[in-house]
Amino acid sequence: MSGYGRGRRWAVLAALVAGLCALPAVVAALPADDADVPATALRDAVLASAGVGFSGYAVSAGGLTLPVSDQLPAVADLLSDRVQLRVWWRGEDEHRVDVVTAAGETGVHVDPAGTWTWEFESATAERTGPAPLALPAPPDLVPAALGRRLLSEAADDELSRIGARRVAGRDALGLRLVPAAPAASVARVDVWADAATGLPLAVQVVADGASVPALDTRFLDLDPTPPPAAVVAFTPPDGARVRPGRDAGGLLAEADRRLTAVPLPAELAGLPRRTLAGAPSSVGVYGRGVTLLAVAPVPARLARGLQAAVRASPDALVDRRGVRLAAGPLGLMLVERPGRGTYVLTGTVTLDALAEAAGQVPGGAP
Amino acid sequence: MIGTELRKTFGRPRTWVTIAVLNALPVLVAVLLRLTDLAPRPGEGPPFLSAVLTNGALFPLAALAIVLPLFLPIAVAVVSGDAVAGEAQAGTLRYLLARPVGRTRLLVAKLVAVMAFVLVTVVVVALVGYAVGSVLFEARPAAGTSVSGTSLTTEELAGRTLLAIGYVAVSMLGVAAFGLFFSTLTDSPLAAALGALAVLVTSSLLFTLDAASPIAPYLPTRYWLAFVDLFRDPVLWRDVVRGLALQGVYVGVLLTAAWANFTTKDVTS
Amino acid sequence: MTAVVSTRGLVKQFGRVRAVDGIDLDVRAGDVYGFLGANGSGKTTTVRMLLGLVLPTRGEVELLGGRMPRAGRRVLPRVGALIEGPAHHRHLSGAANLALLDAAGPGGRRRDRRRRIAEALDQVGLGGVGRRPVGAYSLGMRQRLGLAGALLRRPELLVLDEPTNGLDPQGIAEVRALLLDLHRGGTTVFLSSHLLAEVEQLCTRVGVLDRGRLVLQDELARLTAPTGATVVDTPAPERVRAVLDGRVLAADGGRVVVRGPDPAEVNALLVGAGVPVRGLALQRPTLEEVVLAAAGTSADRVERP
Repeated sequence: MSGYGRGRRWAVLAALVAGLCALPAVVAALPADDADVPATALRDAVLASAGVGFSGYAVSAGGLTLPVSDQLPAVADLLSDRVQLRVWWRGEDEHRVDVVTAAGETGVHVDPAGTWTWEFESATAERTGPAPLALPAPPDLVPAALGRRLLSEAADDELSRIGARRVAGRDALGLRLVPAAPAASVARVDVWADAATGLPLAVQVVADGASVPALDTRFLDLDPTPPPAAVVAFTPPDGARVRPGRDAGGLLAEADRRLTAVPLPAELAGLPRRTLAGAPSSVGVYGRGVTLLAVAPVPARLARGLQAAVRASPDALVDRRGVRLAAGPLGLMLVERPGRGTYVLTGTVTLDALAEAAGQVPGGAP
Repeated sequence: MIGTELRKTFGRPRTWVTIAVLNALPVLVAVLLRLTDLAPRPGEGPPFLSAVLTNGALFPLAALAIVLPLFLPIAVAVVSGDAVAGEAQAGTLRYLLARPVGRTRLLVAKLVAVMAFVLVTVVVVALVGYAVGSVLFEARPAAGTSVSGTSLTTEELAGRTLLAIGYVAVSMLGVAAFGLFFSTLTDSPLAAALGALAVLVTSSLLFTLDAASPIAPYLPTRYWLAFVDLFRDPVLWRDVVRGLALQGVYVGVLLTAAWANFTTKDVTS
Repeated sequence: MTAVVSTRGLVKQFGRVRAVDGIDLDVRAGDVYGFLGANGSGKTTTVRMLLGLVLPTRGEVELLGGRMPRAGRRVLPRVGALIEGPAHHRHLSGAANLALLDAAGPGGRRRDRRRRIAEALDQVGLGGVGRRPVGAYSLGMRQRLGLAGALLRRPELLVLDEPTNGLDPQGIAEVRALLLDLHRGGTTVFLSSHLLAEVEQLCTRVGVLDRGRLVLQDELARLTAPTGATVVDTPAPERVRAVLDGRVLAADGGRVVVRGPDPAEVNALLVGAGVPVRGLALQRPTLEEVVLAAAGTSADRVERP
């Protein structure tokens, strides 16, 4: 009687609030069904998922602050920010990935003949031809594509199973890749693959000595049915500016002509040299899987800009071999050879491995 | 009861002055844009504003985007904060309750009146925006371009604009519920409005803070800009649906709190 | 007689302050009940509890046979109230204010609303006020409009808190006539006031509130009943004392109080003894004396400890 049910009324409110607050936790605590799949079989399932069509919504959070933000702002944003992606995937050469921002979006429409890149804010559509090598683009952050790429060269003894969890409301089986190479700067790569289709649903790349992932990309929604072709295709709308994009292949060929090729050793920092389709011959690529090192001579003008950018970073290490810097698992080193130009060494290797490689490059200080 | 509350809200000169002031900002922006032809740089400024120069039919959306972050919530906070506290301060609350009007009924009627105010305001802003857009800019109502770069027919553009108007109106419900709840706590309409605004400012601030990202999905302002998603192709429903659900939760919780407080409150004003 | 308002052990505590401390009101049909008390004695809190605005800490309120606040929806339409001064929407006219109030709640048919509003405005003397907004009204006009709001649905019970506040003497007289007229028509009036004279002129029953307690509640006629003494007005008080030895209770100048409920008998004795008598009257206590005797010091007086 006393209080006219005041306590009862507030209790109703408290129960309502408690119920609502508990809801996300309850949903998150839904157990995932693990399946007894060996690590290598799971890897094979992931690599076989390239033909699976799907559409979804993914979020990628990167912690990589590259020293090249002035030269390559789009790439720097992609790897250092939180990026929301809408994905429609019909196949490796037919998909669409929209980077969604609060007030606009950038759409990448890939078809077998090339790529349309639509930018809403400037109403511009860019057409580029197919290129064997290209800078990181939004489709590279899609968990499915990234997971397949990172696992593509994984050796059996580098893989282990790490249970299961729910990603995008689906059961995802965990697969851990710990690179065997001593030079590796990646501590581990965790891939959570859809139990039903093998599609990687979440990928985390953790650098040596780091507690948070340097790159964390995952699906929040996934519909594993192929999207209609009309959604993936692109036709520039009326009034849009249409222009050809930078031809990456042409640029590489140009670079190859300008730069004098230097004979590079067959092994750097314990990593064997390998060939990479489309890479100019003056560029040496070493390593395997997630432990890669690239060595390339750079033109003087670009070298000066890079030198300034790297030296400006408080974390840069400078010694007689050159200047080096790590951003998460990504290392970058500039080696000046007196009178013979500058080399840039970059890859997913430790700073010590970079220094060792610098000593092995012809003309570098031993 | 709801009828009398609607009559009270829209029979009051202050309501229409508020709506007029709210429309002044987009009109000013449109005139400046017309005179200088200086669109904001891509990625900066309110959504759709840079697109207005090429298609005036998009100005209703730009106008909504202009008033959405600050002007509209302030107006809603003031009107909803005034709902019960204003009657208390004027002394009419005791006469209403002695009339008698059930306290729960009064709360619901007040919420409906505030909702009607929000809807009328948003529609007026959109209509004025359309008029201004067609007069000052080259309107191309034949078709429009979605954010994703596909072509939209006139019907699609009109339909999505209507949906956006509805969504913006619903987005304001959370503010209205905060205002209404604070309005039952105090007898000062100013304090109630300021309380609702303080919640909004806090929410907007936390939204920009990385450290607050775990609670970001639950901030009342989190999904306000999701009306842009209605103009992607295909429509990105994810945030729109979450925004609607979140506003529903806020309205439910705050209305329950307002009910728990107000129905057992001593009316001494 | 049926009880129109009755409370039992009504208590209201605001924090540590006990505003109303166990009062048992008893207002019967046909009463003009004067609810007297100094400012801050708990009158307004009591009135608000009667109407369900303030919820009692303890005790019960029964209004027109229904338990408040639960029965509010059933009984309040039969009650007209003026609570702590009138309150209106300033930008609307008086008639528009009344229309809003009438439309807000149950009771009172929609079809005859205009007629009822016109009648109520006529009753309080605002029939010709037109469409002027209430913001332009004088204090007295607003008080009249508040009264019109209370009369709108021809209530069985009128609860009026300081109804003559802000009125000029003519206005006060008009309101008094109106209330007496309504009372004759069968309306029970509960009049809360701190003005003794107003209560004394209007009321048939009186309750006196002092610091949250009901210290007195009775028929006005009984409270001011003859005390059994006669007051003699004489230029020769010492001769009265000589003639009526032992019966003189008090003397104050030419005013002598003599035991004896019959002025004629006292007169005969004095005149027989040749004592000059200018006037004779039965002694009756004034309401003020009754109230002062029942209540203590003023509630807004703060003594040094």
